[in-house]
Amino acid sequence: MSSEAAPAQAFPYLLRPVFWAARNRARRRDPGDRARAALFGTIGIAVAVAIFAIVFWLTWQLLDYEELGDYLIRLGLSWLFLTFLSFLAFSGIVTALSTFFLSEDMRLLMAAPIAARRLFYSRFARTVGQSSWMVVAFLVPALLAVGMARCAGAGYYATIAFVLVPFVIIPVALGCAVTLLLVNIFPARRARDILMIMGLMFAAALVLLLRFLRPERLLNVQTLPDVTAFFATLQSPVMPLLPSFWAGETLFAGLQGGLDRFHFSALWTTALASAVLLRVAFGRFYFTGWTKAQEARKARFTRLEFLERLAHRLPLRTEAASLLVKDTKVFLRDTTQWSQLLLLVALTLVYVYNFSVLDLERIPYLSRTLKNLYAFVNLAMAGFVLSAVAVRFIFPAVSAEGGAFWVVRTSPVSMKAFLWSKFWTGLVPLVVLAECLTVGSNHFLGVAPFLNVVTATAVFFMTFALVGMAAGMGARYPRFNAESMTQVAGSYGGIAFMVAAVLFTLVEIVLVSWPSSVYLWYDYRRAPLPSRLWLPMVLAFGAAIATSLVVFWTSMKQGVQALEEMG
Amino acid sequence: MIQVQDLVKSYGSFRAVDGVSLDVAPGQIHGFLGPNGAGKTTAIRMIAGLLKPDAGRITINGHDLAKNPVEAKRGLGFIPDRPFIYEKLTAGEFLRFHAGLYGIDGDGLGERVAEMLGLFELGRWEGELVESFSHGMKQRLVMCAAFLHRPRAVLVDEPMVGLDPRGARLIKQVFKEMSRKGVAILMSTHTLEVAQEMCDRISIILRGKIIARGTVDELVALAGGADEQLTPVFLKLTGGTGLQEIEDVV
Repeated sequence: MSSEAAPAQAFPYLLRPVFWAARNRARRRDPGDRARAALFGTIGIAVAVAIFAIVFWLTWQLLDYEELGDYLIRLGLSWLFLTFLSFLAFSGIVTALSTFFLSEDMRLLMAAPIAARRLFYSRFARTVGQSSWMVVAFLVPALLAVGMARCAGAGYYATIAFVLVPFVIIPVALGCAVTLLLVNIFPARRARDILMIMGLMFAAALVLLLRFLRPERLLNVQTLPDVTAFFATLQSPVMPLLPSFWAGETLFAGLQGGLDRFHFSALWTTALASAVLLRVAFGRFYFTGWTKAQEARKARFTRLEFLERLAHRLPLRTEAASLLVKDTKVFLRDTTQWSQLLLLVALTLVYVYNFSVLDLERIPYLSRTLKNLYAFVNLAMAGFVLSAVAVRFIFPAVSAEGGAFWVVRTSPVSMKAFLWSKFWTGLVPLVVLAECLTVGSNHFLGVAPFLNVVTATAVFFMTFALVGMAAGMGARYPRFNAESMTQVAGSYGGIAFMVAAVLFTLVEIVLVSWPSSVYLWYDYRRAPLPSRLWLPMVLAFGAAIATSLVVFWTSMKQGVQALEEMG
Repeated sequence: MIQVQDLVKSYGSFRAVDGVSLDVAPGQIHGFLGPNGAGKTTAIRMIAGLLKPDAGRITINGHDLAKNPVEAKRGLGFIPDRPFIYEKLTAGEFLRFHAGLYGIDGDGLGERVAEMLGLFELGRWEGELVESFSHGMKQRLVMCAAFLHRPRAVLVDEPMVGLDPRGARLIKQVFKEMSRKGVAILMSTHTLEVAQEMCDRISIILRGKIIARGTVDELVALAGGADEQLTPVFLKLTGGTGLQEIEDVV
């Protein structure tokens, strides 16, 4: 057995660990993996079917407009590819940071006698796959739907495959080049943090922008622009020098049974040239960047000393104050954690803003009933928003201790005190969020004062229950070795929590809405409430509060028990 | 002091620890030796309160760990084999957090933290995030934490892993000084020279059971060897040298 005589394996050999790891994960199932796979599989198929159905219907409708229909399909294809072009480039930047610079196995591979070219191509293939699978999963049903609605020939379906491959390679290669540049300027981990914040700020800005454009105005015919201006707006971003235009043109030609050789060649030659140029750039600058990525950085961070002063002024035991300070500092210093708050704030603003622009006065006879009905829809929505926030930030609280959990477990702090500290840390911000959501949107809706009090009280108790359930179930199903908190939220326990939280919210809505609607019915008619209804109404309100308290208490108790029995 | 009686822990049908009993008196350094997978870390983790035993009783400074875990842990220091710490805290913050868990607060804390960091030569790193530390620095920081609250009993799992010679010498001196002040230390190690140099008594564990116990001299006599070194005694008691096989393979 001589290593000198053995020929070097082609670059796909270096991708084998990825496939083997996937195979091993599939073979060795954790409890609940099957249920999770079934749930996500069903959601994935449902989304693909929905995309297919919508695009098929739209394309089908355009058949009636002959030349205009063709024009719109051509424009639509360019738009579709253009939308994903920037997404792929950004995704390429972020993915390349981990695949080329931060991945643990790079140390092993860099120390092995592997030619730089092979290493580059294997990593680039992995980067392209990781950053584009979601786009491909979205585009394939959409493009299939266009083809089937227009009864395209087999050539069109072959063109899809031959167009998608170079289309994803070009922006991802560009993304990798940007990463190479960034890593040669900043340390890799700092570059990742910067990108993460930029990406989330971009997403948050996009959400706010789209909402504040007030798309509901389009429903009002009087405000629609004239047709010429409409088409001029649509056509402006279609740039013939971008790969998205080439992909759209090639597919449109395929749809009509032909082949647009010019744009097809442009796609492939650009893709191949990008890969080769990127390899040359990596050959020249990669090792310097990788070396910088290995260097221990002198991290810049905020000291947050006021937190310690604040915590020690609170009426808390020393142990609880220490846990509170630690949890808050760790949270605020982890970019992946706090930056998601930006998105959350944007979504909350949009949520409340929606109620401020709801024009219920247009239907005067129904407006009062609708407003009060919306108060319950609003309560349900607040419950779902709280569940989503709890599964992302509170459910993983125990798992977030990670390998360092031994510090707490070997200390004289009981698991009860530990879990309760997690509960209180999560409860306070969530109560504020819940009350802002319900009271704020009820204010904009102008619901009856009675309902205002009922929903504000109900959401207060619901928050107790949801936070208790998230903390308790997070303790029962911890994932201490998870790479990220998002992974913990998506685990079996996280999904079980979401299902339980949604069921709980629905039960609460039913228990609160019946007595409230009875009260409002009599109030609307200015009739006195019959005394025979008092008891069942009080019982229904009482049951809503009792359910919240029981859910909260049993979840916390079970969580503490699970932590005490851990081992 | 640390007292362990008939400790048992199984993983499915595999019995990792099988009836281990130990007694570490105040001021004593007790070595816990054994080959890889013998059950040392499992036993240490049970004594630290990280694993729940299937059977047996653990007493730390007179407090039963199962019945009164908080009081038992109050006087215990633990140094794990892998120093996982909160990466987003600074060294100083980590130690203040650790002190808080033991109910230590107030004016003297800052001085105590500085004192411990100085002792383990981490003084100038007090304000740096743990994520920028090397393995050896993290190990020394964990030791700072273990001794910060002046424990009466200390558990150490592989203390010398990742330490440079200067760090290793420092740790040996600290342990000896702690022992002189009456602290009971139970230390699992693979480094036989360390065990021979530091331990008053040694227990050798194999397949979950204690197979020999005594001072170095007693163990040498038990193995029936003329050599005063612990290595041949350890190899003889735990199942041969394996050197013939190495020769064949290499």
